[in-house]
Amino acid sequence: MADILKETPLKAVQVEALVVMKLIKHSSQAFPTTATGSLVGMDVNGTLQITNSFPFPTVDVPATDGHQQDTASNLAAAAPRAKANVAYQNEMIKFLREVNVDANNVGWYMSTSMGNFINANTIENQFFYQKEPNERTIALVHDVGRSSQGSLSLRAFRLSPAFMIAYKEAKFTTENLQKSGLRYQDILVELPLTIHNSHLLTSLLHQLPSDAPREELDFPPNLSALQQDPNTPQPPLFPNFDSLDLSIDPFLEKTCDLLLESIENHHTELNNHQYYQRSLGREQAKITAWQQKRKAENAARAAAKQPLLPEDEWQRLFKLPQEPSRLEILLNSRQVEQYARQVDGFTATASAKMFAVKSNLLPGE
Amino acid sequence: MSQKDSFLHLARPLGPAPVGAQPSTAPLSVVIQPPAIFSILDHSLRRPSDQDRVIGTLLGVRSEDGTEVEIRNCYAVPHTETAEQVEVDMDYQKQMLALHLRANPREVLVGWYATSNELNTFSALIQNFYGQQGDGTWPYPAVHLTVSTVPGQEIEARTYISAPIGVTAERAADSCLFIPVPYELKYGEAERSGLELISSAKDREDRSQGIITDLESLERAIVQVLDMLERVSSYVNNVLDEEATPSSALGQFLLNALSLAPKVEAADIERDFNAHIQDVLVVSYLANTIRTQIDLSNRLATAALTMGTGDPLTSEGGDTTNTRGGDNNRGGDNRRGGRGGRGGRGRRDGPSDQ
Repeated sequence: MADILKETPLKAVQVEALVVMKLIKHSSQAFPTTATGSLVGMDVNGTLQITNSFPFPTVDVPATDGHQQDTASNLAAAAPRAKANVAYQNEMIKFLREVNVDANNVGWYMSTSMGNFINANTIENQFFYQKEPNERTIALVHDVGRSSQGSLSLRAFRLSPAFMIAYKEAKFTTENLQKSGLRYQDILVELPLTIHNSHLLTSLLHQLPSDAPREELDFPPNLSALQQDPNTPQPPLFPNFDSLDLSIDPFLEKTCDLLLESIENHHTELNNHQYYQRSLGREQAKITAWQQKRKAENAARAAAKQPLLPEDEWQRLFKLPQEPSRLEILLNSRQVEQYARQVDGFTATASAKMFAVKSNLLPGE
Repeated sequence: MSQKDSFLHLARPLGPAPVGAQPSTAPLSVVIQPPAIFSILDHSLRRPSDQDRVIGTLLGVRSEDGTEVEIRNCYAVPHTETAEQVEVDMDYQKQMLALHLRANPREVLVGWYATSNELNTFSALIQNFYGQQGDGTWPYPAVHLTVSTVPGQEIEARTYISAPIGVTAERAADSCLFIPVPYELKYGEAERSGLELISSAKDREDRSQGIITDLESLERAIVQVLDMLERVSSYVNNVLDEEATPSSALGQFLLNALSLAPKVEAADIERDFNAHIQDVLVVSYLANTIRTQIDLSNRLATAALTMGTGDPLTSEGGDTTNTRGGDNNRGGDNRRGGRGGRGGRGRRDGPSDQ
C-alpha cells in the first residue's frame, strides 16, 4: 500500500472550511505570537485533504515585555518538533479517531505576518515532519497580516526532495551546492490549495442573508426610518468590501522594512563568507610558500645526496578554515524573493485603487 | 439562521434539588462563533450511520457575571443511544477536556451540543451531567445548543439552559426544564477574509474554491459596487423621467452619501497623485531589482568555481591551489560589487515609501 502511495506525488492540497476557520481563530488569538498546530486528514490520489486541525499546547511564558514575547514566539515556532507535542499530537489523534475523524497526521500549520516565515525554524519543522512520521506531509502557512488587509492568505508548502537530501547531510558548502545544483528557489515547493465546503455548510451559507433584495420594497417614510430599517442587508461576506480600503501604504511600508532587514542579513552572511575566503587565501598562500620552501630544500638535499623530506607534511601543519554553511544565505534569498513578490502584489492593488480615486475626484479628465 | 424569536422569562418555583447545589437559572445571552458551528456540522457528517444524533462538548468564555456566554470551540464526544438507555463516554469527555485546556487554557466548559432539534429524556440526563457540580459547569448553567441537520431542511440552531424540575430528588436527576435563550452568530474581523473565501464557494457545483489573489478580490468587489451604483442611478433616472415613485427619504440619504466626497483642488489631486504613484512604482521597481541582485549574487557565488578548467578541488598542488584562490577572490569581488549597489539602493528605499 505504501508503495502505491509513494508513486503518485502530492499534487494539490484541499482544505476543509472548518480547518480554515480553526486556523484563523488560533492565529488571530495568538497574534503577534506565532501559532502552531497539527493537521489531520487523508491523502486521496495525490490530493491531500485536510479535514481537521488542533493547536499545540501553549507554553506559559509571562508575556510582559518584548523580550519575553520573543521567547514565547520562539517556543511556539519550535513546538511542532518538540517531544512533548509529538506525544500530545498522538494522544489527540487517538481520541479523534474515536469520533470518526480522519486520524492521520498530514502536517502542521503556523501563522505568520507579512510573509515573514522562511527561516531555519520552519525548515527544521517541515524536515522533522517529512523525515519521520510520514513523508507526505505539508506545512500550511496562514498570513495574519496579509489576510487582514484583503483576501485570505493561506499557502501550503513542502520541502523539495533535493533539499531534503542536502539537509540530511547538513552540508551547505559551495562545493556541494554546485554538485547538487540546488538553488534557493528550489527549497520550498508550493502546492496549489483549494478550500472545500461540506454539503451541510453549503446549505448553512445559503441560509445566511447576503444579497440585497431584488424585489421592490416599500419606500421608507423618512430618513431616520431608512437608517434604522432592520431589513437593511449586512454587507455580504463575498465579495469582501474591505478590500476596497484605501490605506494600503502601511502594509507596503512594513514589507519594505522587512525587505531591508533581509538585505542586512544577506550582507552579514556575505561578510562572513568574505572573511572565510580571506583567511582561506592566507592559509593557502602560507601552504604554497611552505611547499616551495620544501621543494627547494629537497632539491638541495637531492644535490647533496641526502634522503628527501616528505612533501605532504603541510596537511598536518596547516589547517584550512571551515567554510560557513550557505543555508542561511539560501533561506534569506528565498525570503527576499518572497518579499519582492509581495511588494509587487501590493503595488498592483495600490496603483489600481489610486487610479480609481483619481478619476473619481477628477471627473471628466 | 437569524431568528427573530423573543423570550419572556418568568420566575417559577424550582423543583427539589440538593441544598447548595442550585444552579443559576438566570437568563443569559449566547454568542456562537463560526468555528464552533462548522465543527458541529462536520461532526454531524461523521456520525455513525446508525445514530440519528451525535453530541459534543462546547468550550468558550463566560463574562464575569455569567450572563454572557461565548461559544468558541467544541469537540465531539462519542455516545450511544438506544430506545431504553444512553451511554456517554465520560472518560473520553474528561481527557479531551484536559487536552483542550492545555492548548487553550482560557476556554472553559460551557455546555454541550446535539445535532438534532429534539429534546428528550436523555437530553435532560446529559444536561444534568454537564451542569453538575465538580466536572460540570456549576454554579453556572450549562448551555445546550441544538443544531438540526435534517437533509432538505433549513439548518436551525437553538440554545437552551435548564432548570431542575420534578417532584422528588430521584425524578429531578433525570429530568429538567429546558429554557430557550437567545443567541447570536458573530464573527471577528480576522475571520472575515476566511469567511469570504468559504462563502465564495457556496454557489459552486464542486463546493471548492482556490485561493483568490488580492487583485482578483479587489476586482470582484469593484464589479459588485459598480453593479449597485448602476441600480441606484437607474432608479434616480427613472424618478427624473417620472417613471418611478420618488421618495424624499431616499433622496436625502443619497445626498448625504454624495456630500461625503471631499472637495479638493484639481491641481492638488494631480500633484499628490503623481507623487504617490511614483513612490509606489519606485518601491516596486526597487523590490524587483533587489530580487534580481540576490539571484545574481547566488548564482555568482556558486558559479565562480566552475568557470576554471575542470574541477580544481579534486587535484592538488601549488599551481591549482593558486588559481582556485584567484577564482574565489574573483567571486568575492563580484559579490562585493553587487552588495555595494544593493546597500545604496536600500538606503534610498527608505524615504520613497513614506
